[in-house]
Amino acid sequence: MLDILGTIGGNVLSLPGILGLALGMMTRKLWLGALMGGVIGVLETLIFAHWQFGNIETLELMIAIIVGICAGSVGTAIRLKGATV
Amino acid sequence: MADSQDSRGRIRRLWDWFWSPIPVLSVGFTLIAGFLAGILFWGGFHWTLELTNTEEFCTSCHSMETNLGEYRETIHYNNHSGVRAICSDCHVPHEWNHKIKAKVMAVKDVYHELVGTIGTAEKYEAHRLSMAAAVWKKMKASDSRECRNCHNFDYMDFTIQEARAASEHQRAIDNNMTCIDCHQGIAHNLPPGYLEEYQKVTETLSAQAGDLPEKHAAAGDDIRVFLNETTD
Repeated sequence: MLDILGTIGGNVLSLPGILGLALGMMTRKLWLGALMGGVIGVLETLIFAHWQFGNIETLELMIAIIVGICAGSVGTAIRLKGATV
Repeated sequence: MADSQDSRGRIRRLWDWFWSPIPVLSVGFTLIAGFLAGILFWGGFHWTLELTNTEEFCTSCHSMETNLGEYRETIHYNNHSGVRAICSDCHVPHEWNHKIKAKVMAVKDVYHELVGTIGTAEKYEAHRLSMAAAVWKKMKASDSRECRNCHNFDYMDFTIQEARAASEHQRAIDNNMTCIDCHQGIAHNLPPGYLEEYQKVTETLSAQAGDLPEKHAAAGDDIRVFLNETTD
Protein backbone atom coordinates (compact mmCIF):
# COMPACT_ATOMS: atom_id res chain seq x y z
CA MET A 1 0.00 0.00 0.00
CA LEU A 2 2.78 2.39 0.98
CA ASP A 3 4.60 1.45 -2.20
CA ILE A 4 1.55 2.36 -4.29
CA LEU A 5 1.06 5.66 -2.43
CA GLY A 6 4.72 6.51 -2.96
CA THR A 7 4.45 5.73 -6.67
CA ILE A 8 1.34 7.92 -6.98
CA GLY A 9 3.06 10.78 -5.13
CA GLY A 10 6.16 10.43 -7.28
CA ASN A 11 4.08 10.65 -10.46
CA VAL A 12 1.95 13.57 -9.27
CA LEU A 13 5.11 15.61 -8.67
CA SER A 14 6.83 14.35 -11.79
CA LEU A 15 6.18 14.56 -15.54
CA PRO A 16 2.71 12.94 -15.64
CA GLY A 17 1.36 15.28 -12.95
CA ILE A 18 3.02 18.53 -13.95
CA LEU A 19 3.50 18.26 -17.70
CA GLY A 20 0.20 16.39 -18.01
CA LEU A 21 -1.57 19.27 -16.27
CA ALA A 22 0.21 21.83 -18.45
CA LEU A 23 -0.63 19.99 -21.68
CA GLY A 24 -4.23 19.57 -20.55
CA MET A 25 -4.48 23.33 -20.08
CA MET A 26 -3.58 23.76 -23.76
CA THR A 27 -6.82 22.22 -25.06
CA ARG A 28 -10.56 22.48 -24.48
CA LYS A 29 -11.10 18.87 -25.58
CA LEU A 30 -11.26 16.61 -22.57
CA TRP A 31 -10.29 13.47 -24.47
CA LEU A 32 -7.24 15.18 -25.95
CA GLY A 33 -6.08 16.47 -22.55
CA ALA A 34 -6.49 13.01 -21.04
CA LEU A 35 -4.72 11.39 -24.00
CA MET A 36 -1.74 13.74 -23.81
CA GLY A 37 -1.48 13.13 -20.05
CA GLY A 38 -1.58 9.37 -20.59
CA VAL A 39 1.14 9.55 -23.26
CA ILE A 40 3.30 11.55 -20.86
CA GLY A 41 2.76 8.78 -18.29
CA VAL A 42 4.08 6.20 -20.77
CA LEU A 43 7.03 8.41 -21.76
CA GLU A 44 8.00 9.10 -18.18
CA THR A 45 7.99 5.41 -17.30
CA LEU A 46 10.17 4.70 -20.33
CA ILE A 47 12.59 7.50 -19.42
CA PHE A 48 13.07 6.19 -15.88
CA ALA A 49 13.43 2.66 -17.25
CA HIS A 50 16.25 3.97 -19.47
CA TRP A 51 14.18 3.14 -22.58
CA GLN A 52 14.29 -0.58 -21.84
CA PHE A 53 10.91 -2.29 -21.75
CA GLY A 54 12.37 -5.05 -19.60
CA ASN A 55 12.89 -2.57 -16.76
CA ILE A 56 9.25 -1.46 -16.73
CA GLU A 57 7.01 -2.65 -13.93
CA THR A 58 3.39 -3.02 -14.97
CA LEU A 59 2.06 -1.42 -11.78
CA GLU A 60 4.30 1.63 -12.14
CA LEU A 61 3.31 2.03 -15.79
CA MET A 62 -0.39 1.80 -14.94
CA ILE A 63 -0.11 4.34 -12.13
CA ALA A 64 1.86 6.75 -14.35
CA ILE A 65 -0.78 6.52 -17.09
CA ILE A 66 -3.68 6.97 -14.66
CA VAL A 67 -2.02 9.96 -12.98
CA GLY A 68 -1.27 11.43 -16.43
CA ILE A 69 -4.88 10.98 -17.58
CA CYS A 70 -6.21 12.56 -14.38
CA ALA A 71 -3.76 15.49 -14.60
CA GLY A 72 -4.53 16.07 -18.27
CA SER A 73 -8.27 16.03 -17.56
CA VAL A 74 -7.88 18.48 -14.68
CA GLY A 75 -5.78 20.71 -16.94
CA THR A 76 -8.55 20.74 -19.54
CA ALA A 77 -11.13 21.50 -16.84
CA ILE A 78 -9.00 24.46 -15.75
CA ARG A 79 -8.89 25.67 -19.34
CA LEU A 80 -12.66 25.39 -19.70
CA LYS A 81 -13.33 27.11 -16.41
CA GLY A 82 -10.62 29.74 -16.46
CA ALA A 83 -10.26 30.87 -20.06
CA THR A 84 -12.62 32.23 -22.68
CA VAL A 85 -10.45 31.17 -25.63
CA MET B 1 -24.74 48.07 -2.25
CA ALA B 2 -24.07 45.03 -4.41
CA ASP B 3 -22.01 43.45 -1.60
CA SER B 4 -24.78 43.90 0.91
CA GLN B 5 -27.16 41.95 -1.36
CA ASP B 6 -24.64 39.21 -2.06
CA SER B 7 -26.04 36.07 -0.48
CA ARG B 8 -23.11 33.90 -1.54
CA GLY B 9 -21.01 32.34 1.17
CA ARG B 10 -17.39 33.32 1.78
CA ILE B 11 -15.98 30.22 0.08
CA ARG B 12 -18.26 30.61 -2.92
CA ARG B 13 -17.27 34.27 -3.32
CA LEU B 14 -13.59 33.33 -3.09
CA TRP B 15 -14.13 30.59 -5.70
CA ASP B 16 -15.89 33.00 -8.09
CA TRP B 17 -13.17 35.63 -7.56
CA PHE B 18 -10.48 33.02 -8.28
CA TRP B 19 -11.98 32.18 -11.69
CA SER B 20 -12.96 35.71 -12.73
CA PRO B 21 -10.87 37.44 -15.44
CA ILE B 22 -8.45 40.16 -14.34
CA PRO B 23 -8.78 43.22 -16.58
CA VAL B 24 -5.79 45.02 -15.03
CA LEU B 25 -3.02 42.52 -15.94
CA SER B 26 -1.64 41.88 -19.38
CA VAL B 27 -0.95 38.37 -20.67
CA GLY B 28 2.79 39.10 -20.60
CA PHE B 29 2.70 40.27 -16.99
CA THR B 30 0.71 37.20 -15.94
CA LEU B 31 3.09 34.85 -17.79
CA ILE B 32 6.26 36.47 -16.42
CA ALA B 33 4.87 36.64 -12.88
CA GLY B 34 3.73 33.00 -13.12
CA PHE B 35 7.13 31.94 -14.45
CA LEU B 36 8.97 33.71 -11.62
CA ALA B 37 6.57 32.36 -9.02
CA GLY B 38 7.12 28.89 -10.48
CA ILE B 39 10.89 29.19 -10.17
CA LEU B 40 10.60 30.41 -6.58
CA PHE B 41 8.16 27.67 -5.62
CA TRP B 42 10.12 24.90 -7.31
CA GLY B 43 13.44 26.14 -5.95
CA GLY B 44 12.01 26.31 -2.45
CA PHE B 45 10.43 22.90 -2.77
CA HIS B 46 13.63 21.30 -4.02
CA TRP B 47 15.74 23.08 -1.40
CA THR B 48 13.45 21.82 1.36
CA LEU B 49 13.57 18.33 -0.08
CA GLU B 50 17.37 18.42 -0.10
CA LEU B 51 17.37 19.48 3.57
CA THR B 52 15.69 16.17 4.37
CA ASN B 53 18.66 14.43 2.71
CA THR B 54 21.24 15.73 5.18
CA GLU B 55 22.91 13.49 7.73
CA GLU B 56 21.79 15.83 10.52
CA PHE B 57 18.16 15.46 9.49
CA CYS B 58 18.31 11.67 9.12
CA THR B 59 19.92 11.17 12.52
CA SER B 60 17.87 13.75 14.40
CA CYS B 61 15.43 11.06 15.50
CA HIS B 62 16.21 9.15 18.68
CA SER B 63 15.68 5.78 17.01
CA MET B 64 18.43 6.48 14.47
CA GLU B 65 21.17 6.66 17.11
CA THR B 66 21.94 2.95 16.81
CA ASN B 67 22.19 3.24 13.02
CA LEU B 68 24.48 6.24 13.31
CA GLY B 69 26.83 4.56 15.78
CA GLU B 70 27.25 1.52 13.54
CA TYR B 71 27.69 3.62 10.41
CA ARG B 72 30.45 5.67 12.10
CA GLU B 73 32.53 2.50 12.40
CA THR B 74 32.47 1.83 8.67
CA ILE B 75 34.57 2.92 5.71
CA HIS B 76 31.63 4.86 4.30
CA TYR B 77 31.93 7.28 7.24
CA ASN B 78 35.67 7.48 7.78
CA ASN B 79 38.38 6.58 5.27
CA HIS B 80 41.76 7.60 3.89
CA SER B 81 40.38 9.76 1.07
CA GLY B 82 37.73 11.65 3.02
CA VAL B 83 35.05 10.83 0.45
CA ARG B 84 31.91 9.89 2.35
CA ALA B 85 28.55 8.35 1.69
CA ILE B 86 25.90 9.73 4.04
CA CYS B 87 22.52 8.13 4.78
CA SER B 88 20.76 9.58 1.75
CA ASP B 89 23.49 8.47 -0.65
CA CYS B 90 22.57 4.84 0.05
CA HIS B 91 18.89 5.13 0.97
CA VAL B 92 17.50 7.90 -1.28
CA PRO B 93 17.53 7.47 -5.07
CA HIS B 94 18.92 10.31 -7.16
CA GLU B 95 16.39 10.11 -9.98
CA TRP B 96 13.42 12.38 -9.34
CA ASN B 97 10.56 9.92 -9.59
CA HIS B 98 12.22 7.31 -7.40
CA LYS B 99 13.33 10.02 -4.95
CA ILE B 100 9.82 11.37 -4.45
CA LYS B 101 8.53 7.84 -3.99
CA ALA B 102 11.17 7.20 -1.32
CA LYS B 103 10.29 10.47 0.43
CA VAL B 104 6.58 9.63 0.48
CA MET B 105 7.31 6.16 1.83
CA ALA B 106 9.61 7.64 4.49
CA VAL B 107 6.54 9.07 6.20
CA LYS B 108 6.25 5.66 7.85
CA ASP B 109 9.58 6.32 9.61
CA VAL B 110 8.09 9.40 11.28
CA TYR B 111 5.10 7.35 12.40
CA HIS B 112 7.28 4.61 13.88
CA GLU B 113 9.47 7.21 15.61
CA LEU B 114 6.37 8.73 17.20
CA VAL B 115 4.95 5.40 18.41
CA GLY B 116 8.40 4.15 19.47
CA THR B 117 8.47 0.98 17.39
CA ILE B 118 12.26 0.83 17.65
CA GLY B 119 12.60 3.22 20.57
CA THR B 120 14.72 0.93 22.77
CA ALA B 121 17.78 -1.23 22.07
CA GLU B 122 15.70 -4.37 22.60
CA LYS B 123 13.00 -3.23 20.22
CA TYR B 124 15.62 -2.22 17.67
CA GLU B 125 17.24 -5.64 17.76
CA ALA B 126 13.84 -7.30 17.50
CA HIS B 127 13.16 -5.40 14.26
CA ARG B 128 16.69 -5.37 12.86
CA LEU B 129 16.23 -8.38 10.57
CA SER B 130 12.94 -7.18 9.09
CA MET B 131 14.30 -3.65 8.57
CA ALA B 132 17.41 -5.03 6.90
CA ALA B 133 15.34 -7.35 4.72
CA ALA B 134 13.19 -4.43 3.55
CA VAL B 135 16.30 -2.52 2.44
CA TRP B 136 17.82 -5.60 0.80
CA LYS B 137 14.61 -6.17 -1.12
CA LYS B 138 14.67 -2.61 -2.47
CA MET B 139 18.34 -2.83 -3.37
CA LYS B 140 18.06 -6.22 -5.03
CA ALA B 141 15.00 -5.10 -7.01
CA SER B 142 16.75 -1.93 -8.22
CA ASP B 143 20.03 -3.71 -9.08
CA SER B 144 21.71 -1.83 -6.19
CA ARG B 145 20.94 1.46 -7.90
CA GLU B 146 22.10 3.62 -5.01
CA CYS B 147 25.43 1.75 -4.70
CA ARG B 148 25.99 2.36 -8.39
CA ASN B 149 25.68 6.11 -7.98
CA CYS B 150 29.31 5.92 -6.80
CA HIS B 151 30.51 2.40 -7.65
CA ASN B 152 30.56 1.22 -11.24
CA PHE B 153 31.98 -2.02 -12.61
CA ASP B 154 32.90 -0.20 -15.84
CA TYR B 155 35.40 2.00 -14.02
CA MET B 156 36.83 -0.51 -11.56
CA ASP B 157 40.54 -1.13 -12.08
CA PHE B 158 40.82 -4.76 -11.07
CA THR B 159 44.62 -4.58 -11.32
CA ILE B 160 44.82 -2.41 -8.19
CA GLN B 161 42.18 -4.35 -6.25
CA GLU B 162 43.08 -7.17 -3.91
CA ALA B 163 43.20 -10.44 -5.86
CA ARG B 164 40.16 -11.83 -4.06
CA ALA B 165 38.11 -8.67 -4.61
CA ALA B 166 39.04 -8.53 -8.29
CA SER B 167 38.17 -12.19 -8.74
CA GLU B 168 34.78 -11.86 -7.03
CA HIS B 169 33.91 -8.66 -8.89
CA GLN B 170 34.68 -10.36 -12.21
CA ARG B 171 32.51 -13.27 -11.14
CA ALA B 172 29.74 -10.85 -10.20
CA ILE B 173 29.87 -9.31 -13.69
CA ASP B 174 29.88 -12.71 -15.35
CA ASN B 175 26.87 -13.89 -13.37
CA ASN B 176 24.79 -10.70 -13.41
CA MET B 177 25.04 -10.38 -9.65
CA THR B 178 24.36 -7.12 -7.89
CA CYS B 179 26.24 -5.32 -5.11
CA ILE B 180 23.89 -6.28 -2.28
CA ASP B 181 24.24 -9.98 -3.13
CA CYS B 182 27.62 -9.91 -1.34
CA HIS B 183 27.84 -6.56 0.46
CA GLN B 184 25.09 -6.90 3.05
CA GLY B 185 25.93 -5.18 6.32
CA ILE B 186 28.30 -2.74 4.64
CA ALA B 187 27.15 0.12 6.88
CA HIS B 188 25.15 -1.52 9.69
CA ASN B 189 25.55 -4.61 11.84
CA LEU B 190 24.14 -7.84 10.49
CA PRO B 191 21.45 -9.66 12.49
CA PRO B 192 21.60 -13.40 13.17
CA GLY B 193 20.07 -15.42 10.35
CA TYR B 194 20.70 -12.78 7.75
CA LEU B 195 21.78 -15.19 5.02
CA GLU B 196 18.58 -17.22 5.31
CA GLU B 197 16.55 -13.99 5.27
CA TYR B 198 18.41 -12.75 2.18
CA GLN B 199 17.67 -16.07 0.49
CA LYS B 200 13.96 -15.49 1.22
CA VAL B 201 14.19 -11.98 -0.24
CA THR B 202 15.70 -13.24 -3.48
CA GLU B 203 13.19 -16.09 -3.69
CA THR B 204 10.32 -13.66 -3.24
CA LEU B 205 11.63 -11.36 -5.94
CA SER B 206 12.35 -14.28 -8.27
CA ALA B 207 8.84 -15.62 -7.77
CA GLN B 208 7.36 -12.19 -8.55
CA ALA B 209 9.45 -11.95 -11.70
CA GLY B 210 8.78 -15.58 -12.67
CA ASP B 211 12.49 -16.42 -12.61
CA LEU B 212 14.23 -19.45 -11.17
CA PRO B 213 15.17 -18.88 -7.52
CA GLU B 214 18.76 -17.88 -6.91
CA LYS B 215 21.10 -19.97 -4.78
CA HIS B 216 22.86 -18.38 -1.85
CA ALA B 217 25.48 -19.52 0.61
CA ALA B 218 24.16 -20.64 3.97
CA ALA B 219 25.58 -19.29 7.20
CA GLY B 220 28.99 -20.78 7.82
CA ASP B 221 29.64 -21.73 4.20
CA ASP B 222 32.87 -20.58 2.63
CA ILE B 223 31.80 -18.04 0.05
CA ARG B 224 34.56 -18.95 -2.42
CA VAL B 225 33.71 -22.65 -2.32
CA PHE B 226 30.02 -21.85 -2.70
CA LEU B 227 30.62 -19.60 -5.70
CA ASN B 228 32.93 -22.14 -7.34
CA GLU B 229 30.26 -24.80 -7.04
CA THR B 230 27.29 -22.71 -8.11
CA THR B 231 28.56 -20.35 -10.81
CA ASP B 232 30.52 -20.62 -14.03
